[in-house]
Amino acid sequence: MNLLDVRNLSIKLLTGEKAILAVDRVSLTMKEGEVRGLVGESGSGKSLLAQAIMGVLDDKWQVDADRFHWRGNDLMRLSPEERKSVIAKDVAMIFQEPMACLDPTTTIGEQLAEAVYSEEFTGFFWQKHQQRQLAAINLLHKVGIKNHQKCLKSYPHQLTDALCQRVMIAMALARKPLLLIADEPTAAMESTNQGQIFRLLASLNQLKNMSILLISHDLENVTHWTNTITVMYSGQFVEAGTTEQIFNCPYHPYTRALVDSSPKANMHIPVKSRLMTLPGSIPILQHLPIGCRLGPRCPKAQRACVKAPKVKNYHGHQVSCHYSLKDNY
Amino acid sequence: MTSLLEVSNLSKSYHVGGFPFKRRVINALEPISFEVPAHKTLAIVGETGSGKSTLAKLLVGAEKPTTGKVKLNGQTLNHGNFKQRCQHIRMIFQDSGTTLNPSLTISQLLDEPLLLNTDLDENQRALLIRETLQKVGLLADHMNFYPHMLSGGQKQRVSLARAIILKPQVIILDEALAALDPSLRSQMINLLLDLQQQMGLAFVLISHNLGIIRHFTDYMMVMSKGQVVEMGNTLDILKKPQHKYTKKLIMSQHFQLLNR
Repeated sequence: MNLLDVRNLSIKLLTGEKAILAVDRVSLTMKEGEVRGLVGESGSGKSLLAQAIMGVLDDKWQVDADRFHWRGNDLMRLSPEERKSVIAKDVAMIFQEPMACLDPTTTIGEQLAEAVYSEEFTGFFWQKHQQRQLAAINLLHKVGIKNHQKCLKSYPHQLTDALCQRVMIAMALARKPLLLIADEPTAAMESTNQGQIFRLLASLNQLKNMSILLISHDLENVTHWTNTITVMYSGQFVEAGTTEQIFNCPYHPYTRALVDSSPKANMHIPVKSRLMTLPGSIPILQHLPIGCRLGPRCPKAQRACVKAPKVKNYHGHQVSCHYSLKDNY
Repeated sequence: MTSLLEVSNLSKSYHVGGFPFKRRVINALEPISFEVPAHKTLAIVGETGSGKSTLAKLLVGAEKPTTGKVKLNGQTLNHGNFKQRCQHIRMIFQDSGTTLNPSLTISQLLDEPLLLNTDLDENQRALLIRETLQKVGLLADHMNFYPHMLSGGQKQRVSLARAIILKPQVIILDEALAALDPSLRSQMINLLLDLQQQMGLAFVLISHNLGIIRHFTDYMMVMSKGQVVEMGNTLDILKKPQHKYTKKLIMSQHFQLLNR
């Protein structure tokens, strides 16, 4: 059974005159124990999608979906309170810039103790404090921080970026989530630290069978760590499939351009030659093109592209394009 | 061929601690020497606190070196003589959003270095600004825009325009490509390569992304704790890393490619 099944999710920004369609009919499914990458450039609505799944968007945003199921439960039919309790129990999220997300005025120990799930504790109230501390230390051990004494006493600014991110992951693990949404967990981090964080997430995935939705703006960084990848562009669904399918034979011109533009994926091209790239940049929300939003930048665009294409499925490799590159391979 | 930029014995140390008995000296940068010829690019790699940003600041003249000299075309650059240095060595920073003054239009932003460093009249300056904007792929209409009206990639282009408007010989890119989206980044790399061919620029690129470094640079310098641990041809170093730190760095990024 699918853990999360979202079909045709749209997110509208309600402004003065007319609503802006920020995310336009995106589908996403997560299986148990799967690591899925959600890739898109900045402004492509991937963080919005994550926030919509968590249900933390405020009144300005209107979320519609044809299907929004969490382990067979239809979330759209539940009241906000019920929905929140379902989501909060099983889904956790970590953010980019961990230092900015932790409270700078309290120690790591206090913040962790706050996050600990206290309903499992047994015994009298005077024993609870002790149990809480133990649980916090256990959480730190789980994310690979051995020196827990020092870490619990320190403030966020005294730790490095990677350590702060580990603490964030520890907090997310407190309620043993089934799905962890990692919103650019390694942005602005050094490559050696990035490796540490990704390895930690991968080991959590393997040991605890936790599904991970890994959000990133860079395709080349996540390919090593994901089973499946969903690509978005400017709020529209582009392509989804296994990592090999997406990376080795992309069907959509946009994904093709992403793979071609990465110097890392193209080790064979001569040094200092020109890289393949799409002209222009991602459109802003006020001036979105009609139909397929890649249209003005797309090398294969034709007249039919003013209508948004339907999603086609080739053996689990979904692509949303009128002129897919399927026949090129 | 003589080298364009020649650095000999350059070092920087800071004094910390107020009381005399607590005073310590921190060597941010141990003495280093290197050369960069015209048309070539030097990459600097290292972890945080390895002194790569200090080196960039010393080259551009924002900090006073403790020892050593920076020579450009055989001519020594003195600290404090900004008129001489600003014309020839320019710098682009990581976050283009915060390095552009939000209260000035693009033409005013680009006018400032011209006002300070050249004696062109108003018409000539406007013409030069127009030309430079075209060179980096922007339109003359963008002259009257404010920075917040431009997208991230366009802002980075404006910073590049500001860097090349004085026709410099060396440009220092301090993580200038890190924060950009992949498609904008490859656009920017193409642009920089074109400019290098046309104007014979030398680049000093500070970066973490080994893919970009392999594609874009000729020489490479690996730094750790203020010291240069490895220096040489980029391809040679990436193929046969000698030092432990370089190996670790390559493992953390390349190993993903080898498995694929």
